[in-house]
Amino acid sequence: MSVLARPATEVRIAGSKLPDIPLPSNCPGCGVGLDLETMRKHNYVCTQCGHHFRLGADAWIALIADRGTWKERWGDIRSHDLLNWKVPKPYQEVVEKLMEDGLNEALRTGTCTLAGRPIWLAAFDFRFVGGTLSIVAGERLARGMEQAAGSGIPYVLVSASGGARMQEGVLALMQLAKVNAAVGRMHAAGVPYFSVLTDPTFGGTAASLALLGDINIAEPGAAIGFTGPRVIKQATYADLPPGFQSAEFQLAHGQVDMVLPRTELRRLLAHLLEMYP
Amino acid sequence: MTRHGRKPDDTTLSVWQVIELARHPDRPYSLDYIRRLAPDFIELHGDRLSGDDPALVGGIGTWHGRTTVFLGHQKGRSLKERVARNWGMMHPEGYRKAIRLAHHAAKFRFPIVSLIDTPGAYPGAGAEERGIAAAIAEAIMEWFRIPVPIVAAVIGEGGSGGALGMGVADRVIMLENSIYSVASPEAAASIVWRDNNRKVEAAEQLQLTSRDLLAMGVVEEVVTEPKGSAGADYDAASVALDEALNRHMQSLLTQPTDELLQHRYERFRYIDSLIHAEPHFGPKV
Repeated sequence: MSVLARPATEVRIAGSKLPDIPLPSNCPGCGVGLDLETMRKHNYVCTQCGHHFRLGADAWIALIADRGTWKERWGDIRSHDLLNWKVPKPYQEVVEKLMEDGLNEALRTGTCTLAGRPIWLAAFDFRFVGGTLSIVAGERLARGMEQAAGSGIPYVLVSASGGARMQEGVLALMQLAKVNAAVGRMHAAGVPYFSVLTDPTFGGTAASLALLGDINIAEPGAAIGFTGPRVIKQATYADLPPGFQSAEFQLAHGQVDMVLPRTELRRLLAHLLEMYP
Repeated sequence: MTRHGRKPDDTTLSVWQVIELARHPDRPYSLDYIRRLAPDFIELHGDRLSGDDPALVGGIGTWHGRTTVFLGHQKGRSLKERVARNWGMMHPEGYRKAIRLAHHAAKFRFPIVSLIDTPGAYPGAGAEERGIAAAIAEAIMEWFRIPVPIVAAVIGEGGSGGALGMGVADRVIMLENSIYSVASPEAAASIVWRDNNRKVEAAEQLQLTSRDLLAMGVVEEVVTEPKGSAGADYDAASVALDEALNRHMQSLLTQPTDELLQHRYERFRYIDSLIHAEPHFGPKV
């Protein structure tokens, strides 16, 4: 990895102290006992087997943004129960409960620096209705991408999403077109777009912005695909081989550029930002 | 009630009945319309990369005196034909073929008519292995760069990303008894309830009928079907579809390309702006 050691300023493993995340007592990958402080310092990657625990948007922002540089944008846009969705759970109540728990929609975006260079950062949060692409998520993405296209500042996306949000109906589906149009604006403007795919990235999110990066970077073991394995089995009665739709599978099938451990991500992004000035 | 794909007179259909009608095998499919709109239609095949997807037909035909590129999901009626057409569910090759033909249209300045009738993209292992997600993503992005007018019509089922991959257009219209949804009711039930037997409840909440979509501002027009629905009279349904498609196309043909592409961008960028949201949620239309 000597090629990655080039950045002039030393790149720390994380921009800030990562928040606590709920960890099991033992690693589901190898069974080793887990210590929160050790895991936090290791970006919540198992030190024994390299199992990557899922992170929320708050952790991704802490990991990628240089300390004290994060400026959240459009955090006040709120979702609405536009279909009057009632069963099995009223959508409005679900969303309000998640907001009370301190989550702010399935995608947060803003500006920050990474190793001193300005970027736009957007991170999905799987804890908020499965990280589903909603009108709010689409609006935050499109606005940020339009600004990135206008200013030339590189765009970094971290995805963890089940796809489009059912409870917002066809307008959630339309977000695929809305954000892809904005990705097209970044491409036309020559703005670098780095997409980090984490576990899981499926459905409308995979079929829109997540796989359209100039460079697609997947986390080891992340499940990435369009249709989930349960639905594929239901629809086609096929036996799916082990590792089907893993990050490594997507690398072998030409969908991502690399599978990179989380502990290397910040260094790689810092280096890429030097190479795509 | 939808045994012959016909709607009884003076009846208000339930949401599920509309879905059954939209999916009915007696309903006209893309080729039934295309051959009536452009009797000299010539089908073109292949994505020029690896294959040809029979779930998507594409080709050229003379329509209102102008060579036009037609694209459409194609379902089959007999079991053999259904299998051959893969129930109108596209593989990655289909999206790549569509974009190849869109570039063909752009080269010769032919307008594009896209007919949508699919349960969704194919949910199978082979499609995943050949990059269905990226194929749809790239198609959706590429449609915004195609410098000729595009009019799309949902003629039956508009299912999920598989439909939207063919549905980025300057105007999108729907036949009266068609549906357009974020996911099929079965898939939505499977996702929300983890039980696809709750499909009727899911369907009722999804707001997927043509009238719902018109009210949301997602489509420009609902085309009235002939008495007894499109399945009762293919010719009359084609005349109604032709009239609406042509009316929209005529207004686009004179637009300068820059304006056309800017409007297409804005059409989708602000497609949700009819929804009242606070604080101020995008420009009001």
